[in-house]
Amino acid sequence: MNTGLLLALFAAGMTTGILAGRSAVRIWLGGTLVGAGAAIVAASQTLLTGATWDWQPAFAIGAQPVHLRLDAVGAWFLMLIAVVGGAATVYSRDYWSSENHPASAPAGRCWWSAVLLSMGLVVLCANGLHFLLAWETFAIAAYFLVTLDRKNSETRAAGWLYLAASHGGTLCLFGLFTTLAARTGSWELGDMREHTELAPLFWLVLAGFGVKAGLFGLHIWLPSAHANAPSHVSALMSGVAIKMGIYGIVRFSGWLPVPVSAAWFVAIIGVGSAVLGVVFALGQHDLKRLLAYHSVENVGIILMGVGFGLVGLANGDTAWGRLAFAGGLLHVWNHGLFKSLLFLGAGSVLHATGTREMSRLGGLWRGMPWTAGLFALGAAAISGLPPLNGFVSEFLVYLGLVEAVNAHGGVALPAMATVVLLAMTGALALACFVKVCGVVFLGAPRSEAAQQAHECGPLMRGPMLLLAGLCTLIGLAPVLFWSPVSRASVAWHPAWSGLPAPAGLRALTVAHPVVAVAALMGVALLFRRVQRSGGSRAPTWDCGYAAPAARMQYTAGSFAGIITAWFEWVLRRERHVQAPEKAFPRHAGVVEHTPETVLETVFKPAADRTLRAAALARSFQHGRLQSYLLYLVAGLIVLAIVTVWPVWQ
Amino acid sequence: MTCLIETLLRLAAWLVVAPLLPGIINKVKAWVAGRKGPPVLQLYYDLARLWRKGVVQSTLASPGFIAGPVVGWIALLAAALLLPLGRHAVAPSFQGDVILLVYLLAVARFATAWAALETGSAFEGMGAAREVSFAVLAEAAVITAVLALAVQSDSLSLPAMLAPAGGTGALLLAAGLFIVLLAENCRVPFDDPNTHLELTMIHEVMVLDHSGPPLALILHGAAIKLLLFSVLLVEAVLPVGDLPALAGTGALVAGVLVVMVGVGLTESLLARAAFRQVPLMLTTAFLLCLFALLVAWRGAASPLPERPPPTVRLPGETTS
Repeated sequence: MNTGLLLALFAAGMTTGILAGRSAVRIWLGGTLVGAGAAIVAASQTLLTGATWDWQPAFAIGAQPVHLRLDAVGAWFLMLIAVVGGAATVYSRDYWSSENHPASAPAGRCWWSAVLLSMGLVVLCANGLHFLLAWETFAIAAYFLVTLDRKNSETRAAGWLYLAASHGGTLCLFGLFTTLAARTGSWELGDMREHTELAPLFWLVLAGFGVKAGLFGLHIWLPSAHANAPSHVSALMSGVAIKMGIYGIVRFSGWLPVPVSAAWFVAIIGVGSAVLGVVFALGQHDLKRLLAYHSVENVGIILMGVGFGLVGLANGDTAWGRLAFAGGLLHVWNHGLFKSLLFLGAGSVLHATGTREMSRLGGLWRGMPWTAGLFALGAAAISGLPPLNGFVSEFLVYLGLVEAVNAHGGVALPAMATVVLLAMTGALALACFVKVCGVVFLGAPRSEAAQQAHECGPLMRGPMLLLAGLCTLIGLAPVLFWSPVSRASVAWHPAWSGLPAPAGLRALTVAHPVVAVAALMGVALLFRRVQRSGGSRAPTWDCGYAAPAARMQYTAGSFAGIITAWFEWVLRRERHVQAPEKAFPRHAGVVEHTPETVLETVFKPAADRTLRAAALARSFQHGRLQSYLLYLVAGLIVLAIVTVWPVWQ
Repeated sequence: MTCLIETLLRLAAWLVVAPLLPGIINKVKAWVAGRKGPPVLQLYYDLARLWRKGVVQSTLASPGFIAGPVVGWIALLAAALLLPLGRHAVAPSFQGDVILLVYLLAVARFATAWAALETGSAFEGMGAAREVSFAVLAEAAVITAVLALAVQSDSLSLPAMLAPAGGTGALLLAAGLFIVLLAENCRVPFDDPNTHLELTMIHEVMVLDHSGPPLALILHGAAIKLLLFSVLLVEAVLPVGDLPALAGTGALVAGVLVVMVGVGLTESLLARAAFRQVPLMLTTAFLLCLFALLVAWRGAASPLPERPPPTVRLPGETTS
């Protein structure tokens, strides 16, 4: 089918969604899903054929001719928008229904379709001005989605922080696009690698899109926004919206000349985000905040791949650069899938128990076995365990990095360090997700709410099943996804045509199903064996302790304690200890809290200082005429001295 | 077809030989202490006995409590099958199979720790927390060792990496891998496999509540893991893959025996280290592997006449 027609259907579906969202839920659902489906078909056509769709009608918006383009890079991200967006749309039908949230649900539906439409436009627009318009619409629509539950003051604060940070980024983008337009004489976006004088602009790209992507250091808005938004919104924000920042970085690193230092910076900030993101995740006790920090980590892994791709390009067109880049690109999809799965799972937990606090949960598998199982699958995938999708993209990044080491250039030593840190990131993520699964879903319920948790409805389970299925599919048959990845890489850098699938990926396509089938068969056989022997139940033995209680279980904080102690230098946890006193202590307790260290030690002081300077400046403005006259006279005298001084000299 | 038969034979070898290793270690320990010690085949008897027994599960446990041990066992077995055994028993290898091996070990860790948390016991939670935390450092050491092997063989597939003799840094690598072996298999000085109950710290804690066939799988998996690490260590140092078939197998067996004796002697002569020293020892292992890597890298980077120029991948000027 014609790509243009499909994209028109996408726009029409989403517009129907915006118009119908307020009153007609069914029409909204149908329109949004049809739109998402059309976008999926359009994107897969582009990814399978590699053909670029280009549309330049004769009309203009804002005195700029409309120019839409869908190439494989854009299609790669459009696919993610449509798949995750579609799944979360169905989920939100039950999760944030008009019955439960009469005040916010109708508006929420409109903004939901608006955010999907504007993200689609971001990847389609090939005109700088329209790109900015779409980008800004997307940012504002996302703000209204984040603050759907705005009776809660924490949510309002999170939304405000998001809006401020987002506009800080947009400011950089204004600088970027206006400078581009001034230098090239047109707002048209496209390949500008020839203009080497534009290279410094790439730093603006990094700053502007980096805020949205949640690079460590610019991620300050991300944890609170993801934690306080409704879960289907968190899934979309984490799975897709931050990928728009990645889209910007990938897109403009293909279009603009990239300075070598910036290529290195992308790789290094990627490594830093990966390690520090997961370390901060370990320190969290709020389920969704923890997942949010894992987004920082995974964005880091993506940028690791993209960064080494850029470094490879700067070192002459290297094979390892392509592999790392392809790994980074594939991780965009993978993270989008498993992170939205995890957020939807967290949403079901929140829905069932009413708390995000992990220390109030536990033993949820009994009440909600589907959610527990699907969340576990997502946890294994995000920890990069074979045979799931997270391993596949990390595998490609590893292949690229080790080849870079064996190329013996100046890249070898940094690549070595990156390999080691990537492995440690994987192990840390595993530790963190063992903790989450164990504390939330296993053991005994730690509160009344957790005791009475119930499974979510089929409309919430279905989307999770879909996402989990896709995670498994990419994991079991990774070689199928090589051709779209390489199409997107070629669209990014046309000189890279025709890269065959690495042998390792083909081998994984055999090894993963074998391991998966063996594991399933093994599990089935052992269950048979256990059932035949008439397995009996008894209280947890635990070396013979007679009266175990739910509150004696290991907590999330203790579980992560060893690792968080290693990283105390960056976490700077606050610890309030009330030690037991005397022979019969009445009360004792420990409260530990990981602050938003970057926000509180870097951004807040800087903002406070700015405000103080502003207050100082304001004290000159007090409304006394005499003083104003004095300023004028003083100013005139200074001016006179400045002008006369050189002449007199 | 031959490939399939060969793989099945290797599978059988791993399954049958692995439980021998703890028996050898125990014999060495008994010999040092002047005791007679349990029979070498003790673990086989234990496994058979456990397999016949029934299963008692915690009332809190979900089906994951049973699934965890199997998944961990399969993952360890799959990882073991990726390792070549000498010259002819070369696994179906590919570029990057070593990464899969490292991550399959992670799968086993995930499954074991998951099953431990099923019981809701604080003690087993501690064990799981320690296991996954120390694994961060152990994984850094392992991946550094892998990098060292990859650099000195210019390949990322296990048969090519492990076939030649260890380079100049072989001793460093062996020391580093030996420490990792002790840590990952919960031997003294990291953990004491003898103190089956309260005094144990990491691995045995996690499996306290398991019984019957699942416990048999856990014990067998632990034996496979021990064999896997010793084979990896021996093949990283000795040119097992470059020797003729018989000599290679002999060297492998002798090497594994030496490693087991080493473990037994370490266990007899050292006490378990204080808990807070564990990260320090693992960091030492990491540093040893790192030095091995740097030595390998220096060796590979220095201009060797017979080596194809490494700049093949770097046409044009390098800008950095």
